[in-house]
Amino acid sequence: MDRDEARARMQEIQRIMERATLWTLLPGTAAVVGGLLVLAGCAASYGMFHSLDFARMLDMSVAGQIAFCLMWFAIGVIGVVVEVVSTARAARRQGLSPTVRSARVAAFSMTPSVIVAMVLTLKFLIPVEPRPEEIQYIVPVWMMLYGTGVYTAGLFSIRPPRVLGLAFIALGVVALLAFQEYGVVSAALSFGLLHVVFGLYIVRKQRQDGAQ
Amino acid sequence: MSQPIKPDDIDAIIHERVRLAIVSALAVAPELSFNELKAMLSLTDGNLSAHSRTLEDAGYIVLEKTFRGRRPHTSMRLSPKGRRAFERYVETLRQIIDKGDEAMDDPP
Repeated sequence: MDRDEARARMQEIQRIMERATLWTLLPGTAAVVGGLLVLAGCAASYGMFHSLDFARMLDMSVAGQIAFCLMWFAIGVIGVVVEVVSTARAARRQGLSPTVRSARVAAFSMTPSVIVAMVLTLKFLIPVEPRPEEIQYIVPVWMMLYGTGVYTAGLFSIRPPRVLGLAFIALGVVALLAFQEYGVVSAALSFGLLHVVFGLYIVRKQRQDGAQ
Repeated sequence: MSQPIKPDDIDAIIHERVRLAIVSALAVAPELSFNELKAMLSLTDGNLSAHSRTLEDAGYIVLEKTFRGRRPHTSMRLSPKGRRAFERYVETLRQIIDKGDEAMDDPP
């Protein structure tokens, strides 16, 4: 074997190890924390406008609406920060760079669909007199686009993220077609419960693997 | 010109491309299921079966066959012998690259 073949082999080994690494870096705990935050957010939303329909936020005062939007913005930011910190810690534990190529690829895969979801959210929220049916689109749109992002990111790793992505898309379609006026329930079931279940599954699998 | 390495210095079991991919993946993920590895490495059932059997026969990986409900479930992990062999193989690659680089630096 000559130097060039050896170098090609090393690159191949590195590529496969990075791909497998994504499995060990999946932030299970962060998914649980994020899911619990969303469940708390759903409970707080219900407390604010006493309805399972997010469009009822329009009945609140302007200050109430701003507080509602800030609360969900804060939940989103905290969720992302917890995920990034957990992934970075997991990478450090394994002696890897937090910006390992597979983690970057996963992050970049999710970015376009999240940006589209944010743009649509602003489009639905910003009008001077937002329409209730457009507010009702926000949760299903986020479910489907987030699911698309997770599924795409999962293409570079193993099956569980892809299953999570498909579950989000399927639930999003059902929420859009049949349960628009139950956005609080849809958000709690998907971004809340689904994340908690997925996170616990990942944590359990990684502990099993680590114990062997 | 880089120095060719003797055939005996290279572990023929790991050197095969698919088996090297299996061992590389198991070197960082302590355990992977048959289906996870198949998807991750884009292999067919037959291909992964044949190569994983070779690695198991060599004592490089441990295959665990269980049932989940009525469906068979196979998981794989790297054995200590397999990890040592993988580390030796990577070290051999490094030496080949280093020798090649030195030869390039030294003018004839």
